[in-house]
Amino acid sequence: MGLRDDLERFREVGEQRREDLADFIKYGDLGGGRPDQIQIPVKIVSLPEFEYDRRDQGGVGQGDGGTPDVGQPVGQPQPQPGDGDDGDGDEPGEEGGDHEYYEMDPEEFAQELDEELGLDLEPKGKKVVEEKEGPFTDLTRTGPDSTLDFERMFKEGLKRKLAMDFDEEFLREVCKVEGFGPRDVFEWARGESIPVSMAWIEDAYDDVPSEERGAWASIEELEANVERQSVQQKIRREGIKHVPFRREDERYRHPEIIEEKEKNVVVVNIRDVSGSMREKKRELVERTFTPLDWYLTGKYDNAEFVYIAHDAEAWAVEREEFFGIRSGGGTKISSAYELAQELLEEYPWSDWNRYVFAAGDSENSSNDTEERVIPLMEAIPANLHAYVETQPSGNAINATHAEELERHFGRDAEDVAVAYVNGADDVTDAIYDILSTEGDADD
Amino acid sequence: MQMTNSNADRFRKQAIASDLEEPVREARNLAEKLGLDPYPVKYWIVDYDEMNELIAYGGFQSRYPHWRWGMQYDRQQKQGQYGGGKAFEIVNNDNPAHAFLQESNTLADQKAVITHVEAHSDFFAKNEWFGLFTSGQSDEGQVNAAAMLERHARAIDEYMSDPEIDRAEVEKWIDHCLSLEDNIDQHQVFSRRLETDGPAEEIDEDLAAKLDELGLSEEIKGEVFDDEWLEKLEGEDGPVNFPEKPEKDVLSFVREHGKRYDEEAGRAVEMEPWQRDVLDMMRAEAYYFAAQKMTKVMNEGWAAYWESTMMTDERFAGDDEFMNYADHMAKVLASGGLNPYSLGMELWEYVENTTNRREVLERLLRVEGISWRNLADVVDFDAVLETLEPPTALASVDAAELEDLTGLPDEWVDREALERARDGEIDLERYPWKALTYEGLARRHYSLVKRQHRGFLSRVNQNELERIGRYLFDDERYASVEEALEDVDFAAGWDRMYDVRESHNDVTFLDEFLTQEFITENNYFTYEHSQATGQFHVASDAAEDVKKKLLLQFTNFGKPTIAVYDGNYNNANELLLGHQYNGVMLDLGQARETLKRIFELWGRPVNLLTIVKEVDEHDIEVAKRRNREPEPEERGKLIRYDGTEVTTESVSWEEVDHLAADDVDYDTKPEDWLA
Repeated sequence: MGLRDDLERFREVGEQRREDLADFIKYGDLGGGRPDQIQIPVKIVSLPEFEYDRRDQGGVGQGDGGTPDVGQPVGQPQPQPGDGDDGDGDEPGEEGGDHEYYEMDPEEFAQELDEELGLDLEPKGKKVVEEKEGPFTDLTRTGPDSTLDFERMFKEGLKRKLAMDFDEEFLREVCKVEGFGPRDVFEWARGESIPVSMAWIEDAYDDVPSEERGAWASIEELEANVERQSVQQKIRREGIKHVPFRREDERYRHPEIIEEKEKNVVVVNIRDVSGSMREKKRELVERTFTPLDWYLTGKYDNAEFVYIAHDAEAWAVEREEFFGIRSGGGTKISSAYELAQELLEEYPWSDWNRYVFAAGDSENSSNDTEERVIPLMEAIPANLHAYVETQPSGNAINATHAEELERHFGRDAEDVAVAYVNGADDVTDAIYDILSTEGDADD
Repeated sequence: MQMTNSNADRFRKQAIASDLEEPVREARNLAEKLGLDPYPVKYWIVDYDEMNELIAYGGFQSRYPHWRWGMQYDRQQKQGQYGGGKAFEIVNNDNPAHAFLQESNTLADQKAVITHVEAHSDFFAKNEWFGLFTSGQSDEGQVNAAAMLERHARAIDEYMSDPEIDRAEVEKWIDHCLSLEDNIDQHQVFSRRLETDGPAEEIDEDLAAKLDELGLSEEIKGEVFDDEWLEKLEGEDGPVNFPEKPEKDVLSFVREHGKRYDEEAGRAVEMEPWQRDVLDMMRAEAYYFAAQKMTKVMNEGWAAYWESTMMTDERFAGDDEFMNYADHMAKVLASGGLNPYSLGMELWEYVENTTNRREVLERLLRVEGISWRNLADVVDFDAVLETLEPPTALASVDAAELEDLTGLPDEWVDREALERARDGEIDLERYPWKALTYEGLARRHYSLVKRQHRGFLSRVNQNELERIGRYLFDDERYASVEEALEDVDFAAGWDRMYDVRESHNDVTFLDEFLTQEFITENNYFTYEHSQATGQFHVASDAAEDVKKKLLLQFTNFGKPTIAVYDGNYNNANELLLGHQYNGVMLDLGQARETLKRIFELWGRPVNLLTIVKEVDEHDIEVAKRRNREPEPEERGKLIRYDGTEVTTESVSWEEVDHLAADDVDYDTKPEDWLA
């Protein structure tokens, strides 16, 4: 119980009721929402209720500095004071229920699209944005006292002690074995890998009172009667009296340097805005490009977009205008690539992933494709170059740009994709073709 | 909701809380001086996230598990994230009330919220519509809304965790109930169970089928349960009408007489105990929140009015905080459209001003030689206002001028407090109002002489003067204007406001106090949809039209009125609902979907009689050509859902005639609208 659960339930409910993602891309209204936020209409998340027909109800508005004239159209109804808590009223839906929006962020969108289309694009980290101090895990032999790794020094000292310590009592007893001189004791100790020095044994031997000498007939008898004690047992029983600290065990910590690589992407969207690009073609470009933008935004940490419109000439535009522009003029696709090349200088290939997407109806001025565009595409390093041909009415005779690209680069090129969108139904396939093309060539 | 509980968090909040102890205490003292009588308020300091959670839960800390809280939370978070939406205050209707202060608010904001909350709490305690839920008893045991909601939360959570019950089923059932959330009888005192006149003993529609199931031998059936007997029983269907009168509380009707549809059995069966229980809880919550929905404009206006009186007029905001506060207030009131704060506050000021004006005029009309006919000509309103100004000592209470206060009439000054101020026990510098009484404060803040209302007195029109003056007795009581003004009751405006806040709701409030002046000044207009153009157009800026439209939006929560007309429709225990048509048709799409939900709560086919407006395609074409609006035709419809499909059939006017109201008209389209 609790809001987290409620939120999760809402996500589930929204998930069930929202429009299918592929359908949304093909037929939905892509214009809603902000670029960083994707709004997919959800059917009936608000519960149905008996309500007035919004049109028949009319409403009350407030004029801005004066009352408007009677008869003047007022556009969409303003929210009404009675509306209160139950969300915004919409057009009366034929089958009831307001259209709420199920909002996705780009990450969610990218993930969903991966699942829906079976994509698995792994974005590459490129630009080193930060060299930050990681955890203090690297060690040096010198450094300020405050960074001295005391724990390590203690452990090393302890290890040393463990290695050097031995069961003194037992060795004293060994000195009492019949017929053992100091040398014999030492030899025996060595054989048992007891880290004891000859000097220590000599001292211990001398300390044995004469009446105790030869108390044990043999080592075997001694071992049968006196229990040997391992160092661990000894420490446990007596505690650590003394841990030898040595200079050579001193280590000073210093931070590890971690290279934070940002997954940067710059996406160049190029669109033919010449006279032949009529409404239908324009819409298909938008339908293809917009989800691509969302997808890449969701995949990368940092996504930048460059929008280039062109007819016979090319110019950079803002996103808001990009899909709306219509111009007259002829078509020269290379103009856009020239501009792209120039604009991409700001996004060095060493630091940025680059995608260059162009769309149009494949019409181009003669020889431009072969003589100018293809060399430029080869000259602009990018993860992927794509061309999307939108031809709702099938092929036009002069429209050969896409074909020429395909002929030159081949169908299986790793960094060039050509997709054909003749209608809304083709959009998701085209998106799949494009996004599944990128190779790992530059890894 | 889980209140975060780390130590640092707690200390930080405690620090804020201790800074606010004095403002909270003094705001209550001031509120009481001003005549407010609020429930005790418990204040909580919460952080931004907690505030969002509270908002999602409708102001409470714990609600039953449901996806819509998640939706609201999601929306709230996104608003905050993108729109910088800042939540200022939440107070819930409860005794004691609980109010939540966001820790990031400035001190001025906190004080504003506190004064605002005190006024809300007064409204909760004193408005009679809130009393409907508590049966008029506002003691702690009666309200305890938080406890009720918490109880519901736990009960529903238990049902959901019960392995015998499908969690999704519970949630769906809640959804069904919520579709009928506003179909209650909000003007009635809430009672847990509604006593409706059902047939004394419900007779199963298919008793014969049941008998078949018993597998009795033909002989026994022939002997005992013969057809005659069955017919007799099934014929005795209790009272002729069931319910006797149309029942507006649809939720309770289905609770008492509804069943659920059992897919497997393919027929209606009794509801599970948990289903009835959930229905009861949803209905109780609907009644609890109804009063808030019915008084939004009044209540917000009330809080804004007293907040402004305390913060601005009484300088409850320190001088340094004042600009900050004024800024905030301006933003709240200015947020566009008909926002309940500004609409409500203006209406309250109107109540205050008209009452005060009437009081003054009644005095003036009793002066020898002054009548409603000549008052406007012989009385110098500026001079009157001059006289009505509060005495300087009262207007600027100040520790330095204690002696001046002593000279004021007893009814204005709290002598005891004055003594204590002299002894230094009360800081009049900060809290000048402590030395005054309710009457003294009313005098001090007398509305007619405030800068923004100075023109109000002289704007009185001849009609009003006549209305007041015509039947006035004792009309030669005073020899002079000065003498008359001495008798003015300066608390008249406030007294009246307190009466109004007790008995009104938004509908009656707007109906009585929304004036031509207000509507014109704020450039309000109505708009209507044109069939000819397919758009909304401005229809009227006449005050009565704007008011009509507004009332439509406030009456019955702004929803159409639906009532149960027959619980044994078609003599087959079907449900018949009637839409009480007021000239505005239903959203039919929504209505169909809602019927499907009601089917789940009734278990048997559900029907809805309504009236729709239909326009002939041909008429639209003709109208378009002539720049006219086509005349729609009203027709009766019966919409029915039998569990598998929705059907809509036309019915004769006789069958729906009783549903059509002939005394209301919400249409504001002018005759020659689009010409």
